[in-house]
Amino acid sequence: MDNATYVTLTRLSGLKREMQVIAHNIANTSTTGYRREGMVFSEFVVGGRGQDTSLSMALGNTRQTYQTQGELTQTNGNFDLAIEGDGFFQLETPQGLRLTRAGMFTPNAAGELVNMDGHLLLDAGGAPIFVPPDARSIVMSGDGTFSADGQPFAQVGLVQPVDPVSVTRAAGTLFVVDGDVEPVFQPRLRQGFLEGSNVDPMPEIARMIDVQRAYEQGQRLLEREDERIKNVIQTLGR
Amino acid sequence: MKALHIAATGMSAQQMRVDTISNNLANMSTSGYNARRAEFADLHYQQFARAGSINASDGTVLPTGIQLGLGVRPAAVSMQIQQGALAQTNGDLDIAIEGKGFLSVTLPDGQAAYTRDGALKRTGDGLIVNSEGFEVTPGIVIPNDARSISINADGEIYAYFTGQVQPQLLGQLTLTGFANEKGLEAIGSNLFLETEGSGPGFDAPPGTDGLGTVRQGYLEESSVDPVREMTELIKAQRGYELNSKVITAVDQMMGATTQVR
Repeated sequence: MDNATYVTLTRLSGLKREMQVIAHNIANTSTTGYRREGMVFSEFVVGGRGQDTSLSMALGNTRQTYQTQGELTQTNGNFDLAIEGDGFFQLETPQGLRLTRAGMFTPNAAGELVNMDGHLLLDAGGAPIFVPPDARSIVMSGDGTFSADGQPFAQVGLVQPVDPVSVTRAAGTLFVVDGDVEPVFQPRLRQGFLEGSNVDPMPEIARMIDVQRAYEQGQRLLEREDERIKNVIQTLGR
Repeated sequence: MKALHIAATGMSAQQMRVDTISNNLANMSTSGYNARRAEFADLHYQQFARAGSINASDGTVLPTGIQLGLGVRPAAVSMQIQQGALAQTNGDLDIAIEGKGFLSVTLPDGQAAYTRDGALKRTGDGLIVNSEGFEVTPGIVIPNDARSISINADGEIYAYFTGQVQPQLLGQLTLTGFANEKGLEAIGSNLFLETEGSGPGFDAPPGTDGLGTVRQGYLEESSVDPVREMTELIKAQRGYELNSKVITAVDQMMGATTQVR
């Protein structure tokens, strides 16, 4: 049985996955509303033949999405909205309801607010937000109420998933919720700002170096193990 | 190793950001220019272990599963619609639009194009055209013997003649508004075309239907903020370097893999 090699192998393939996560985080340092992703390794114990022997392998089998606040950048755009604190914007997509933190919206040809991929932004009641075309100034208050020339016309609906674990990611900085969502209590929004990515490059680079060195360590171990087996074969086969 | 390709998507995204910034800085003095900004979104996710899949024979399920992202893509390069500062030029055919709306001109092929650049000129026949020589709607002609002209906030053009006290109304400029100005297609020379995304343009006199007013003797400056562009440039350059570091690290890991035996 060549357990040492197999254990190292699980570690190496896990590290390759972690490297992919780091590369993805770094590639998205400039993505509006992106959320940093982490990898969690867990021990995977395989029972051995005897009473006291068992073998533990490292398995990267869960991921973690960090929901810390990203930096706010001033853009002065009328429909550039940033969420302060908890909550997500609701988008209507052909695949159903999606959540996002990327608050860059624009009216479409019909005057409804959409995101950059053309998905409709929903208000607190779950309906699309129609912007009056003849409005001279559009102002949003801190709780997400839009008003045109002083007349309120819609309120942006912020929600959060009831079960935070039920959220998975989809392309386009979207999140898919498997369970129910609930409105956020006292939403806080800012007009004219966009929330950047919450990836901090420093820890990512540190993690990257860490992963790279750990990978090299694993490779050395494989090399030693190979030599050891070679020695065993040479010595015993003499 | 997918990390190589992921880092490559990151590098090309930052490259695109630098392209956008350099175009903004090059147009710092272009009248009526609106700054552009590159926006990004993450790419698809690979599902390794779906959240909720069964992890053990006793029915334990994975709470989060594994999803591995595949990098970044450019989502949009959008115009930052902003009123630029007004610079006084005192030119009688220099007009600035205060508020929403575009002047419309007729291209040589008969199509309408829209512009915020109000540095208008006149042809030898007295027709009002833009800097490129395209006729400004609705095709107002200034008589050769006009002493001076004046344009009021509503876009009405008056001409004064020698020996006459009362000015003569020559015509009124119209502005065109769009539901989604960001959806217009830029074709260079400060001109835009209507698209599906912008919605159909509606023509109205200045100061009505939510459109802005015009101001004679001023030009709208570029809305590019050099300080902001420089900080963006620094961020883009560092982002590029970070991604290239990932490529180096992955390369070394692959080197280590080949040295296992």
